[in-house]
Amino acid sequence: MRAASRGAITAIIIAVIVVAAAAAIIAFRGGGPSATTTTTAPPAPPATSPAAKTTAPPTLRLTGNLEEDVVNIGRFLASHGVHVVKYTAFSKGDPNSVMRVYAIVEAAYRLNKILEKHGVDLRIEVRPVFQRGGSPKAEDILLAYQQGTNPDIVALSYVEIPVLAENGAILDLTNWVSKYSSLWQDFYKALRDAVTYKGRVWGLPQDTEARPLYWRVDVAQCIKEKTGKDILAGLAEKIEKGIVTWHEIYEYMKLAKETGCAEWGIIHRKGSAHPDLIQFIYAYGGRLEDPKTGKLVLDVPAVYKWLYTEWKWARDGLIPENMMHWDWAKQIHPTVVEGKTLIFIGGTWHWTEWQTKPYYTDPKTGEKRPLTAEEVKKYFYFTLFAAGDHGDKPVTLSQPFVWVVASNAGHDNPKYDELKEAYRMLAFLLVVKASDPDINAIHSIISAHLPVRHAAAKLLNDKAWLEKLKNLQLDLSPEVKKAIADIVKKTVNDINVEFLAKASKMLEWTHLTPKNPYYGQLAAIFADAVDKVLRGELTPKQAINYIIQKIKSDPRLAENVEIVGSIPENWKYP
Amino acid sequence: MKMAGRNAALLFFLAPAFILIALFYLVPLAITVYVSFTDMQNWSLYTLRLLPNPLFNYARLFHMMLYDPDFVKVVYTTIVFTLVTLAFNVLGGLGLAIAVYLMEERLSGFFRGLWLLPRMTPVAVYALLWYYFFLGSRDGTLNAILMALGVIDKPVQWGTDPRLLPWSAWAIIIYVNVLVGVSFGMLIFYSALRSIPWEQVIAARVDGASTLQLVRHILIPSIRWHIMFVTVWQLLSLLTTYAHIFLLVEWGVVDRWWSSTWALYVFTTAFGLGGGGPSSTYQGLAAAAAVILALVGAGLGLLALRLLGFRRMIVPPKGEL
Repeated sequence: MRAASRGAITAIIIAVIVVAAAAAIIAFRGGGPSATTTTTAPPAPPATSPAAKTTAPPTLRLTGNLEEDVVNIGRFLASHGVHVVKYTAFSKGDPNSVMRVYAIVEAAYRLNKILEKHGVDLRIEVRPVFQRGGSPKAEDILLAYQQGTNPDIVALSYVEIPVLAENGAILDLTNWVSKYSSLWQDFYKALRDAVTYKGRVWGLPQDTEARPLYWRVDVAQCIKEKTGKDILAGLAEKIEKGIVTWHEIYEYMKLAKETGCAEWGIIHRKGSAHPDLIQFIYAYGGRLEDPKTGKLVLDVPAVYKWLYTEWKWARDGLIPENMMHWDWAKQIHPTVVEGKTLIFIGGTWHWTEWQTKPYYTDPKTGEKRPLTAEEVKKYFYFTLFAAGDHGDKPVTLSQPFVWVVASNAGHDNPKYDELKEAYRMLAFLLVVKASDPDINAIHSIISAHLPVRHAAAKLLNDKAWLEKLKNLQLDLSPEVKKAIADIVKKTVNDINVEFLAKASKMLEWTHLTPKNPYYGQLAAIFADAVDKVLRGELTPKQAINYIIQKIKSDPRLAENVEIVGSIPENWKYP
Repeated sequence: MKMAGRNAALLFFLAPAFILIALFYLVPLAITVYVSFTDMQNWSLYTLRLLPNPLFNYARLFHMMLYDPDFVKVVYTTIVFTLVTLAFNVLGGLGLAIAVYLMEERLSGFFRGLWLLPRMTPVAVYALLWYYFFLGSRDGTLNAILMALGVIDKPVQWGTDPRLLPWSAWAIIIYVNVLVGVSFGMLIFYSALRSIPWEQVIAARVDGASTLQLVRHILIPSIRWHIMFVTVWQLLSLLTTYAHIFLLVEWGVVDRWWSSTWALYVFTTAFGLGGGGPSSTYQGLAAAAAVILALVGAGLGLLALRLLGFRRMIVPPKGEL
């Protein structure tokens, strides 16, 4: 009997396990949001399917005239008894990047003025949610979307677009954007590409950056004094024209080291190959993606040249062998701001970072402090990222932030199911208005990002407008003025604005990294390969084999990467 | 009837425990197994569908194990880290417990408190401390000390120099984890030692037992059960621990592959690599790796119980009680 009771208990335990497992499986199979069978690109839920997204009722049609469009939508909503429309705008960044959400607040303020002027009884309210940190992650937005708690408009990194688009969480804006073609054409070409995925437009550019080569003026001066060679003379133009390539730069770096003018020839980022070092692939005429297949590309000749270049530098003592493991705050930045290197592969944001963080040890006091704007201007000269070989082109690389509109934009408003198309259009118009040149220029200046539109870049040279911005005499909503008042005081100075205006010209040469979901995995393999060649653990040839072996060892990655070309045997560096 | 009533009562009292176990252990386990049969990525429920070949993720892992030059390092690191740290945690904990047991009470309290400090320190702060200690520049504490003493003339990249790998990276992650883990054994063993009737110790001393004999013949045999518990517990904990290692790897003070344990691989696959690069996350693959880890853990746990004589310990004592 005792055995029987044990048997019964065991049976009950097993039953509980089976029921629990079955419940879990049923819950996921039956309760999941998708009933489709494809594995790579599931369509959006029916309510937000791409076909439905831009098919508006006859009364709701975008014309490309913002004033007319907002008034039409306003009247449409008001006629359905809606007089207040609420949206949430969400983004992340450093504290100076608040305009990523306040630009939408400002856009609502401007659209409300238009509605008021035309006597439309509708008011748009925007709740800005801004958090410190990097870009909002697609996974987080997607999880919120699946629960219906997502923000309506999000500013995030363009690399997040595929995941959101593939899952139907954001609107396909292609048809609407085509109505606003003058705005669309004013964005830099590369940034238009950034918001385009599989031939469709999924957002509008919000801000961007570039990655210059920073040259220490004092080190170059020291080289000139000791050797008579003025390496900075017309250097920016020479690099732009491809006269000075990484071959010539090798010689400059050697001079810096051999003359004792600097401890290192060059310093670059640690840890990741993405995105700073990826520039080498483009600079050596390589590519990372096959536009026909959409697959990633391992461009063997370009990657080999990149790895060889780094390997050679490390063997000649021009770069630290353990560069990929240096500490940003304790090693990389102090080495750069104290002039212990001739070149630094950096980003436009470093210009202001060196003015705000205490990396510099003042020789007079022995204390750490930030550089002043004047010191940064005095010590640093910047150029494009040079071409690899003669015949290649110089490059830079950007990772723009973009605004996307949720597929369920306006979901917290009344009669959503009936009026959702109007709510979505209105959200899109907010993003269009938030792209006004002055709004974009303000964000650029106070956050040290580059403008995304030519019209905004022009404003950076408008002294009268800048003066008004300094004194906050621009016509901005009181809420926005309050949010940016302190930042404006600290950040708007002529040196930094001049830098941004010059640096924004680099966007004509900019490249993007692929939006392919496997790019991160490939970039991580590149980072390991760079580390190994710098340390001398692998030769460049061995490193190429290592990369190929890594790609082939993961069946999923192997499916998504094409290996093209071979090691250029006759190529010489420098 | 009487038996049926007894079973009903048994079921009634056991049901709450069964429900909790099912809800918080078995259901998550079932979900993990299910996810391992899917291609779930980026936490998207839309990708939570059974793969045409449900075992694809397992095959993918096996393929990587065979051909990825770095993946095998994860396997070696997991084995070495788990076994060596386990030995230190159990034997070190035992040694510390005996030492503080034999100490004067006031001194003993101080030492126990001291050894608990790493456990009480927040993980990020603790990891940061060791990050700066092993940092491979002049700013690294260890380098600064050794250079000041003239032992080395230039900084050593302790956790990443290929000439020192894998031993240096292993030594660092083991050392950092041992300092936290050893206090667990110390606490359990110390309380177990304190529960040994004091008369036994006095009697042994009166009979002329040396400290070594006291430890060998009285103290250790009396806490065999606790030693087994700590060993099995620590074994399973070490197989799944990753927090401290993750931060050291993330900050680049130790080699990424020679310091990644299987549990860390599961974490980074499911939640991303962090750092500078964009990263997609692969929950399907991570779940497959987690299932393998759970199976290995279960197998090793049972093996440890067998080797430590668990069955013998639960045999009813002979004679009348």
